[in-house]
Amino acid sequence: MTPAHVPRLARGCRLREDADQGWVLLIPEGVLRLSGPGPQILRRCDGSRTFGDIVTELTQEFAATDAARVAGETAAFLERLIERRIVVVE
Amino acid sequence: MRPQALIAEITHRCPLHCVYCSNPLAMRPRGEEMPAAEWKRIFREAAELGVLHVHLTGGEPVARPDLEQFVRAGRAANLYVNLITSGIGLTEPRLDALIDAGLDHLQLSFQDVEEAPANEFAGVRAHARKLALAEVVRARQIGFTLNAVVHRQNLDRLEDIVGMAERLGVDRLEIANVQYYGWAIENREKLMPTRRQMEACTALVAAHQQRLKGKMRIDFVPPDYYARYPKACMGGWGRSLMVVDPAGWVLPCHAAGVIPGLTFENVQARPLRWIWEESAAFQRFRGEEWMPEPCRSCDRRHEDFGGCRCQAMLLTGNPSATDPVCSLAPGRGLVDAVVERANAGGVDAAGWVYRIDPV
Repeated sequence: MTPAHVPRLARGCRLREDADQGWVLLIPEGVLRLSGPGPQILRRCDGSRTFGDIVTELTQEFAATDAARVAGETAAFLERLIERRIVVVE
Repeated sequence: MRPQALIAEITHRCPLHCVYCSNPLAMRPRGEEMPAAEWKRIFREAAELGVLHVHLTGGEPVARPDLEQFVRAGRAANLYVNLITSGIGLTEPRLDALIDAGLDHLQLSFQDVEEAPANEFAGVRAHARKLALAEVVRARQIGFTLNAVVHRQNLDRLEDIVGMAERLGVDRLEIANVQYYGWAIENREKLMPTRRQMEACTALVAAHQQRLKGKMRIDFVPPDYYARYPKACMGGWGRSLMVVDPAGWVLPCHAAGVIPGLTFENVQARPLRWIWEESAAFQRFRGEEWMPEPCRSCDRRHEDFGGCRCQAMLLTGNPSATDPVCSLAPGRGLVDAVVERANAGGVDAAGWVYRIDPV
C-alpha cells in the first residue's frame, strides 16, 4: 500500500451500525464485527480518498503522534481485507 | 441466541428442474404464496430479532413479479439483501429496477461450464442465458457470486468452471458439492463423486484459492459423505439461521420437514420472535440436551453441534442420531456403503429424477 493507492470497499460489502454489536461490515455470506479504529478506517475507504489522505485524517482524529505507526497498522488492517476481497485498491 | 440471517423462500415455482434441487419434495403451490406486504412485516420482525442478512430464494425468486418490493422491504428493514437466482426471467431492466430498490448482492447459479451437460442437469436450456446475464451483472455495482454445484458428472471439469468464473469477472465463486437432501437424494447414485474426484477437487480448490487471493474469493463446500466429521449444519439448529417458506411456515432448516413429529409454526399466526425463541421445533435440537453419545461427551460438539438432523433422519431414520457422516457415528456404515458403491465403478445408468414444479 502506497500513499497514492485508493482503497475502497468492494461491491457487495457495506458498513452499518447495529444496536447490539456496534459497527459491522456486511459481506456476501457473513458479518465482520469491527473494533478499535476499524469503522473509522473503513468509513474513509470510499473511493475518493487516497491511502495517504486516510492516514492523515486518522492521525488527526486519534491525535496520534506517530503517523508512520498509524500508516503501518492501517495498511496491515486493509491488506487482510484485500486478501478476502472485501476491500479493493485502485 | 440471535439469528443472523433469514432465508426467504418466496416461491417454490422455478423454470429449472435441477436434479439436486434442495427444495422439499412436497412444495407450496402458488395459491399458498404470501403477498409481499406480509413479507415486509416478516423482514421487520427479523431485523428486530437481530437478523442482518436476508437471502431471497425459492424456487426462483424472479418468478414473483413483485420481487422489487421484497428488495425494497429488506432495505427498509436495514437488511443486507441477497438474491439467489438461476437468472432465468431476469431481464436487464428488471435487474436495474432491483438494483435501484437497493439490492446488495446477486448469486447466479451455474450447472456446468459446458452447455449440453449444464442443460441436462437443469432439465431446461438455461446455460446460454445465464452466460448472457452474467455479462450484464458484472458491469453493475453490486456484489456478484457465481455458484457452481458440483458432483460426479461435472467434477472433472472443475478447472474449467473456475476459468469460467474468472472470465465472467465475479467477485466470489462458491463451489458447492451436492448435499443429499430434497431432490438430490433421489439422484444420489449418479451424483456421488468418487474418492479420486473428491481428492482432486479439494487440491484444485486450494491451489486456485491461493492463486486468486485478492482477485476472486473461492468458498468451497466439500462432499460431506467423504468427511471425517460432520458439518455444522445451518451453524447449529436454531442458532443462527431460519427459513421461511412461501406459505409462511418457519423452519430451522430447508429440509426440516422430513423430520417426523416436529410442529412448525406459521408467521402469519405467531410473532417471529416467539417462533424463534419459544417454539417447540426450534427448541427441539438446540443446545446439547438432545444429544446421544458419542456427541454428548465429544469435544467437537461445540463446533459441529452433532451435525445435520435431517441427514440423520434421512439415513438412519432417527433424527436424534449422530450425523452418520461422522467417523465416530454408529451409523457411519450407511455412509460407507454409499461411498463404496460410488467407487466400485458401475453407476446406475437409469435416467434422472427431475424436480417438478408445484402447481
